[in-house]
Amino acid sequence: MNLQLFVNGLVNASLIAPPAIAFTLLFGVLRFPNFAIGGYITVGAFMAYTANVIFAWPLVAATLFAMAVTALVVWLSDVVVFAPLRNQEPVTLLVVSIAFSLILENLVRLFFASDVRGFDIPLERPIKVMGARITPEQLDILMLAFAITVAVHVVLRFTRFGKAMRAVADNPVLAQVRGLSLRWITAGTCALAGAIFGLTGVFAGLDLVIEPLIGWNLTIPIFAAAILGGIGSPMGALVGAICVGMAEELTILVLPSTYKIAVGFLIIAVFLLLRPQGLFGQPEIKK
Amino acid sequence: MLAYIVSLATFVGFFMLLAIALNLQWGMTGMVNFGIAGFYALGAYTSGILSSKLGLPVGLAMMVAVLAGLAAGAALALLSGRLRDDYLAIVTLGFGEIVRLIILNEDQITEGPRGLRIAEQPLAGWVSVENYPLLYLGLVVLAVAVAFALSETIRRAPMGRVLRAIREDELVASVLGKAVLRHKIRIFAIGGGIMGLAGALYAHYVQNISPDVFLPMVAIFIWMSVIVGGAGNNWGLLLGAGIVMVLLEGSRFIGDIAPWIDAEKLSAGRIILIGVLLIVTLHLRPQGLIPEPRYRNKFQRKS
Repeated sequence: MNLQLFVNGLVNASLIAPPAIAFTLLFGVLRFPNFAIGGYITVGAFMAYTANVIFAWPLVAATLFAMAVTALVVWLSDVVVFAPLRNQEPVTLLVVSIAFSLILENLVRLFFASDVRGFDIPLERPIKVMGARITPEQLDILMLAFAITVAVHVVLRFTRFGKAMRAVADNPVLAQVRGLSLRWITAGTCALAGAIFGLTGVFAGLDLVIEPLIGWNLTIPIFAAAILGGIGSPMGALVGAICVGMAEELTILVLPSTYKIAVGFLIIAVFLLLRPQGLFGQPEIKK
Repeated sequence: MLAYIVSLATFVGFFMLLAIALNLQWGMTGMVNFGIAGFYALGAYTSGILSSKLGLPVGLAMMVAVLAGLAAGAALALLSGRLRDDYLAIVTLGFGEIVRLIILNEDQITEGPRGLRIAEQPLAGWVSVENYPLLYLGLVVLAVAVAFALSETIRRAPMGRVLRAIREDELVASVLGKAVLRHKIRIFAIGGGIMGLAGALYAHYVQNISPDVFLPMVAIFIWMSVIVGGAGNNWGLLLGAGIVMVLLEGSRFIGDIAPWIDAEKLSAGRIILIGVLLIVTLHLRPQGLIPEPRYRNKFQRKS
């Protein structure tokens, strides 16, 4: 197999995996597919750009700033936009979240226009490993994405907050009866997911270019990864991200690269028809 | 000025057709469709290619476009009719994107990103060139009226009750012996046909179609129309489609009045406005502007 394609696929997967996990965490607590991820990621990328290029902060500080702002945006969007609409059907909320994503993207467009931008970092020569090229930034993305995934897993498994989150995702009424504060857990989940979206914005800005559609272009692969792994299952989202990330790159072997997105969709469609609950999801129990 | 209003009204008509189709699929039956742009493009390109490249009469080409929409709708529903809402969302979204990518890449047939020129127009030569836009508007209004009547007939017929039953609880509907999958396929096909018709009408109106018109954004605007107007209510969605299209196209006016605002900012502001409109409407009127009427049987007293 072509090693370069494998490396590209791995980098692609590490762009998708953390937000797919964040998406699935949000879904567990909010109970609707929040498609505003594209808008959140765009906000993250542009906040980091503002801090890094306009305020001339170092990239690490800019990244932390972007994560904090995005966490705040995700929490505020839930309180102001989504929470009052909790009684609507999930599909209506899905459309509302897409609309909200459009609002965020276009607010960014209003202030920054659609020009293509990049972070203020020194250009470095790609590292060559057995003929495959990988840039130092891509290597950072790869390692950080892995670290984030492990960290989220540890939080979910071993901390009180993680247990509370799983309890709410499992059965919100029962969790409340046991004295868990739905409001605080929702806020915490939003903040955690938001920080991950902000970080993804920085990753995407490092690997691609910064423009208002940066988030929207990632939305479909992220959603696909979450579905493939089974919505609500963080480990599934990771595996899903690797499958989608690899599939997108490897299809270049058999089809023109312009068909990349289509092949991703086709795999998902076939998969959904054969195993609708995803790789690791529980089959839905109907009343 | 008049020409502008006629053109705006024609575009509102395309949106209304798409909204009527989505209301059949989602508002009445509860089937999610995010691939509206795909059906729209399929209709536009089928009719466009058949008439401009193969020389078929325009009327016939448009009919084939409707059939193509019907067939695609039926096939998609047959494949995915048993899927959960959020999964159906991504399958239909994928369908729309695949149609767009095929148009973009197979440029020997579709002219790809260069755009397909279509000289042929329906009923060309009936009236003078100046009056033709009015005639076309009449044609679009007729199409909207027919689709509206069809949708209302289905809603009032026994079939409409079955569809609502499927929407509320599929399991109950099937326990009552209704052929759930068959109804779903039928309604998805009818919706697809109407969307195909909208696409064909659009193609012969603008006469130059390219894949960048058929982005998933189209689906989002139609969804907003139906939700703002009131899902399940045909009158509501006409209002919703009108509002969304007038905001989308009508705000181009501001560019003429206030030339100091640049086009980029204006188009961003326009989309923000529509998004805010959707969210505010749902906060104030959760069922939309004109909600679906509550159904009573004849034994219930009017309250």
